Amino acid sequence: MARDRWKLGWAVAVLVLIGSACSGGGGGQSSGESKEPITIGASLPLTGEFSQPGGAAKRGYDVWAEMVNEKGGILGRQVKLTILDDASEQNTVVADYNRLITRDKVDLLLGTFSSLLNLPASAVAERNRMVYVEPAGGAPAMFERGFHYLFFAQQATAPHQADVFVDWVKSLPAGQRPKTAAYPTQDDPFAKPVIDTMRKALEAAGVKTVYATVYPPETTNFDTIANTIKARNPDLVAQGAVFEDGVGLVRSLIKAGFSPQTLFQTSAPSNSDQYAKGVGEANTEGVFYTVSWSPEATYPLNQDFVRRYQQKYNQVPEEDAADAFAAAQVLQAGVKAVGEIDQDKIADWLHANKVDTILGPLSWDETGAPQSDFLLAQWQGGKSEIVLPKDVATTDNVVLPKPDWKQS
Amino acid sequence: MTHATETLILGLLTGGVYALLASGLTLIFGVMNIINVAHGALLVLAGLLTFELWRRLGLDPIASAVVTTPVMFAVGWAIYRLFVARIRTAPVSMTVLLTFALAITLEGAMGLTWKNVFRSVTPGYVNQSFHLGPFFFPKAQVFGCLAAVAVLSGLWLLLTRTWAGRAIRAASQNPQGSALVGVDIRGVAALTFAIGVATTGAGGSILSVLYPLFPASHYLWISRLLGIVVLGGMGSLPGAVVGALILGVAEAFTATYVSTRWATVVFYLVILVVLLVRPQGLMGSRLRGDVVT
Repeated sequence: MARDRWKLGWAVAVLVLIGSACSGGGGGQSSGESKEPITIGASLPLTGEFSQPGGAAKRGYDVWAEMVNEKGGILGRQVKLTILDDASEQNTVVADYNRLITRDKVDLLLGTFSSLLNLPASAVAERNRMVYVEPAGGAPAMFERGFHYLFFAQQATAPHQADVFVDWVKSLPAGQRPKTAAYPTQDDPFAKPVIDTMRKALEAAGVKTVYATVYPPETTNFDTIANTIKARNPDLVAQGAVFEDGVGLVRSLIKAGFSPQTLFQTSAPSNSDQYAKGVGEANTEGVFYTVSWSPEATYPLNQDFVRRYQQKYNQVPEEDAADAFAAAQVLQAGVKAVGEIDQDKIADWLHANKVDTILGPLSWDETGAPQSDFLLAQWQGGKSEIVLPKDVATTDNVVLPKPDWKQS
Repeated sequence: MTHATETLILGLLTGGVYALLASGLTLIFGVMNIINVAHGALLVLAGLLTFELWRRLGLDPIASAVVTTPVMFAVGWAIYRLFVARIRTAPVSMTVLLTFALAITLEGAMGLTWKNVFRSVTPGYVNQSFHLGPFFFPKAQVFGCLAAVAVLSGLWLLLTRTWAGRAIRAASQNPQGSALVGVDIRGVAALTFAIGVATTGAGGSILSVLYPLFPASHYLWISRLLGIVVLGGMGSLPGAVVGALILGVAEAFTATYVSTRWATVVFYLVILVVLLVRPQGLMGSRLRGDVVT
């Protein structure tokens, strides 16, 4: 028995030695003397439920790597991406990040797409003390764990994504300000917190709630909701809409013949092409939404990113691609500022500093939750314009009240 | 009061559309004892074909049913001959497995062909309504109801007034007996299945106008449609109509006066209650176990 323990102890010691030799070797390489590429690992939902945004995020990462490598890489070393496919599965994403860290021994990590996947994946990174910058995962649960290495590379967490709209409403002269509001929202981890926070803030500002309802994701028929909204006659309709439901409610409001003075929807109107086709281009006029990124924004590098993306993929970048690009920018800024690949130093630096990205300047609190505001956008003349913040607004004009629906 | 009446109108119109969508499902079950779980996927497929015709040729979605109906008939025929015919003598549960597999395969194929994005067909009338006094009647739903009436009466006439219909019914009631009097059982079965699938042509047209199409949205539809046919009585055409109208109205009133959260649960509650209280549904008859093969 004692002998067995003895043996076991030796085996462990040998393993530890081998392990430290390996990681020691890795650490030595990252000091910048050798010109081996910096390897960055990520796992994305390239197939399955989130394959569409996952694919966009991959294109965003790829464009970033290309642009960085052309300018000589980071710390004089080229960047090499290893992107795995997690099939939109929580178990797979955990296995993927474990593999990236332990087997592929990547130098740095980038996050995956959606709160669903980022929740377990960020825990793997935290356990391994690796900086984890993620492009899309703003659910409050992400930041309730007090992680030190986690950073969300958008302007605000889900409950605060419409703060900019609330501030705008409050800034209106009393005559134009909505007096009543209806809040239909999908029971969705991104949409509902936005509407809940907005409702509280607007109620505090004196906007009376005349109707509020939470509908499940399976809802396809919005005629009954539109019928009730019409009967309550609110000045403002603010909908927590993912996509399908945003189009569905607008169509039903048109059928019911009710056009609110102000219409706000969360994500739906940002899917520009599909949204305009769904509701009819003329009916997009005056619809408000908040968004993390705009192709028109004049933040540094944004126009280069748009141009390069269009050259490479022959399409305007999706918001999800831009978010991924920004996440990579955040990581890049951290590494550059610290001057070496030291996960703790990078994390400390990011907690203390502001980073310029194509989404605008980003900064974080101690839980990795971002501290800025989304962009307030409005459909005007068949395209989306940024109304706020003023420094990147693409127009001074705000359509108010929203014109009546056009029967095409 | 206006609000309640409008809710009733919307519920009935939605119910009419549901009846159209459920007609083929109930026909195939009533006659063949096959629960076609792929019905929802076939509806979405027909809707996407409608979308394609509309996008490429500018064909009106409702008019395009003239094209999609024969196409879906052929699809139904092929599915029957290639897959379903092989398990005709297997228990009903096997047909559920087989058609579920078909549904998943179709979903994947549609995802590859049309991508996992939402597609909407938006002809001029899609967002318009007929107005009567304070009430509005959404045009697309009204057309959907008319199509439901046309398709369901067509099916009813076919089953009761034609030789083929009599053969179909005879084959469903007593396959051995009808074979003895000269009914080609295998041909009749393929015909029935194909007719049932062909109804998705008209159903898909209306679906594509009313709701954004997405390959994976078929799960939603099949669960709703099963609720309808279970309530009406599996296999009964009038039952499908009554079940669809009741559920359309129940959904509308629940959404308006209880909560939109509960509206989608109505379907599943109905399945549960019907199975507990009246397993044969409102208008279904208990099947005779001795002649069902």
